[in-house]
Amino acid sequence: MMYEQEQKMEIGSKKGNGKNVGFLRPLISAYSTLPLHGITAIPGKISGALMVANSIEDAVPLIHGPIGCAFQRKINPFRPYLPFYETPCTDMNDLEVIYGGEDKLSLGIKETYEKYHPNLIVVITTCASDLIGDDFKSVIEETKAKGDVDCDIVYATGDFVGKTKPVGYQDALYAIVDQMLCNGIGIGQEKEEIDKNENSVNLITFPIHGAGLKVAEMASVLSEMGIKINKICFNHTTVKDLYELPKADLTITDYPMAWARLMKERFGVDHYEILAFDRYKETRDPELFSPYGIEGSTRIFMEIAQQLGKEGEAEEVIARRKENAIERLSKVKKGLEDKKVACMGGIHGIGMSMLSDVGMKASVIIYKTQALESRLTSDAINEMLDINVGLARKYGSDPEVLVNPTIEEEIKAIKKTGTDLVLSMGASAHKYNKEGIRTFDSMRFTLHHQRIGFGTPIELAILLKEALKKPQRRNPLLSMLEYDSYRNNLIPEWAVLADMFATIREGATGDMVMSENVYTTT
Amino acid sequence: MTWLCPRMCTPQHRYRKMSDTEVKTREGLTYDPTQDCKLVGAARALAGIKDSITIVHARPGCHCGVLLLRALGSNQNDIRIVGSGFRAQDMVYGAEGRLAASIKLSYNNFKPSLIAVLNCSAPAIMGDDVEGVVQAMKREIPAEIFSLSTGGYEGPAWIGYEEALSELTRYMVPGETESDKVNLIGFKQDDIKSSADLLEIERMLNSQGITLNAVLTNSSFGELKKAPKASLNIVLGGDGLESAKIMHEKFDMPYVITPYPFGLNNSIDFLESVTKSLSKEVNEEFIAIEKNRIKERIERIFLFLQGIYDMSVAVVGDAGRAFDLAKFLSDELCLNVKVLAITSRNHISLDKTKTNDGYFETLLIEPDRFEMNEEIKTKGVEMIFGSSMEKKLAWELGLPLFRIFYPVIDEVSISDAPYAGFTGTTHLTEKIINSVINNYIEV
Repeated sequence: MMYEQEQKMEIGSKKGNGKNVGFLRPLISAYSTLPLHGITAIPGKISGALMVANSIEDAVPLIHGPIGCAFQRKINPFRPYLPFYETPCTDMNDLEVIYGGEDKLSLGIKETYEKYHPNLIVVITTCASDLIGDDFKSVIEETKAKGDVDCDIVYATGDFVGKTKPVGYQDALYAIVDQMLCNGIGIGQEKEEIDKNENSVNLITFPIHGAGLKVAEMASVLSEMGIKINKICFNHTTVKDLYELPKADLTITDYPMAWARLMKERFGVDHYEILAFDRYKETRDPELFSPYGIEGSTRIFMEIAQQLGKEGEAEEVIARRKENAIERLSKVKKGLEDKKVACMGGIHGIGMSMLSDVGMKASVIIYKTQALESRLTSDAINEMLDINVGLARKYGSDPEVLVNPTIEEEIKAIKKTGTDLVLSMGASAHKYNKEGIRTFDSMRFTLHHQRIGFGTPIELAILLKEALKKPQRRNPLLSMLEYDSYRNNLIPEWAVLADMFATIREGATGDMVMSENVYTTT
Repeated sequence: MTWLCPRMCTPQHRYRKMSDTEVKTREGLTYDPTQDCKLVGAARALAGIKDSITIVHARPGCHCGVLLLRALGSNQNDIRIVGSGFRAQDMVYGAEGRLAASIKLSYNNFKPSLIAVLNCSAPAIMGDDVEGVVQAMKREIPAEIFSLSTGGYEGPAWIGYEEALSELTRYMVPGETESDKVNLIGFKQDDIKSSADLLEIERMLNSQGITLNAVLTNSSFGELKKAPKASLNIVLGGDGLESAKIMHEKFDMPYVITPYPFGLNNSIDFLESVTKSLSKEVNEEFIAIEKNRIKERIERIFLFLQGIYDMSVAVVGDAGRAFDLAKFLSDELCLNVKVLAITSRNHISLDKTKTNDGYFETLLIEPDRFEMNEEIKTKGVEMIFGSSMEKKLAWELGLPLFRIFYPVIDEVSISDAPYAGFTGTTHLTEKIINSVINNYIEV
């Protein structure tokens, strides 16, 4: 599928007709440098649960709590560029805190139904309603039994999925499967009752902005292999779509999700994770964290095919697609071969295999551990570094490794190694530009382009070539400011906030993860 | 005039007549709020104390929410919001130790003059002895520390704002009153254009030989402590009235409630009220010069101003400023204010509804967002004056949205062009006309 077509799919034909493309990416990017998640703050469970409720077109959230829990969460740290405009709440006040909020919840559900006419109400509980011990389950059952509310109702408390992160997001999805899809269906009888969509998969991505772009090529490749797409979530997903999720044979997610495991338990729908933490624990194969690019995508497609017994069909399709991609890539990557790049260590950026696809070499790896030290063990931090360096060497690079360097040390190493381009976040690009070093915004690429498929390295090559031709920017206004020496994308006040946050959170149960699940999103 | 009001009327009083006015209450208990909770009101008041730190003693979501609001809607180099690291297990054992650590860290890192602890829903319900922690830490730290109970269930933002300002009066010390010095109360430094507005208000006061003493809040803690040196408190739009009353009782300081100076007449009214309260003659010459300046500017775009005459608009904002903006729009730009939605009350908002002189058609007080949107949709409105929260409604109706009320998280203001005062009159007019004529449409 051509990139332009995919863009239309991303925005959706119903509302935007593709006209919003030019606004959407800069809008998202403008808010992308906020140093929040795990740096100076952690979003609460309501924000994650609202992401789910908001992603289902015919669902409405009902926040069982005070007005602040509804108003403040309209501005959501997962999607700060686009508030959640509909967040009705039960307006819990001090009377309910003393006498209980169950009556108000029941009335709230009824009113929400009458006002919004949704097919699903997602009740999201809050600190206040959790602490006073309202019996959400009974209220919902009794409200349903009265017959005034002709839609599904689920409730998310944040307690269903343990420490799986993001808690609110995982918990709301789990609640939907547990309370809605499995409601009234006992274990053991589901398989007979579900009209299966044979050889089909569900494609699930985090609903930050339309799933279409991220999975369009993947869907196309799988279809060619004879694997049907049962559902893509969340892309204009409705309650009806959710009810059809159990028809698939396999659910494909970005990372492990509790609700996908529940789908396997209750409906026998297997699950596959693109970032395979569980298998990494057994094999310590760093490639499992490298799902993008030609080889990464080949592996992912083949593993999915194997799980569905479609290896035969897959081999031919993958080989053809791969050959086509390599041929196109060989043309577009001319001029990139053996160019040197400096990149940031970690697992979420542009991987070494993708750099290899476009013919570039990693000359410097800059590894910053400050933000990780309060949340990861030192073993986990070292292991992550080893993975980066190991993959770089495997793909033919021999980078200089800098751990927690100052910006001056970075510049020195970058210049010494004759590096052509720095793959940096937008927030710190000006520091390199000022020194005459060109940059490529890796955050923007991962947000808007990176996905499973053979088109990604081609887009990367095109964009990298553009970056190498960009005019020198010697006078960025941003370089007038003072920055912290180590957290060099932050001005001193934010750096202090980040340091304080790290200290305050230090040792929190569930925060300090061991190396085996080092990459769990927080 | 129709009046939709949520809390002050019982359901049986949902419809009542006020002279020729129909009054309606908010329907139902479920509330998609147009205002935030007590925590945010208090945090907004405290944010304006330049050398203070606010600790949000709460689960992570509240801390993250306040931090996000501040980062998106205010000066990004002046955050001063810290969490206490409250975790799930603390719901059982309490988080007093974490709060103490957070106070210490805040002092060590920022050396603030004041640390304010906002005790939110979870620790408030659990019964954390926050006051005990504060008292203990006062012995260790050479900064003032106080706590406020700001559980979300305790009330809306304006209550938190009033309580925070009232708390500050405890630290004020009596001093020799200086004539023609005033304090400004009800100023919020995270309102859009706030710093430009403050410069303009100060310029206007200076033109009358009046100087600013302290701004509640946009001053250092030391300046606030010396607030009683002023000879008058100016209460902008009625916000912070409670603190003015306390200062009146405690320090015998007079106060005057003025409009927020949106537009020419509100600006004149502002100056006349202040000078009258100080028993000064108003400097008519200054006003005449400003009027002439406005006239000269208006002349340059008079055709467009004639063109938008009688345009129907909705105004959605807080009581301290929305009444006054609506009055300017109606009385001076001659727009038709079809809906005035007061998202957040204050102590004088009910009085203002009683003295309506016809500058709005329908009044909603603290409306449910769903009901408010429905009301606006039926009124044939052609432009909305609101916050970032009206963006979707404006998009759905295909209308320009003028962002002027809190919170604004999708527009920045770093220039010195105010919305308030005489200078603000031309700037507002310019932006309103541009909001209309900037649009592209296919015909």
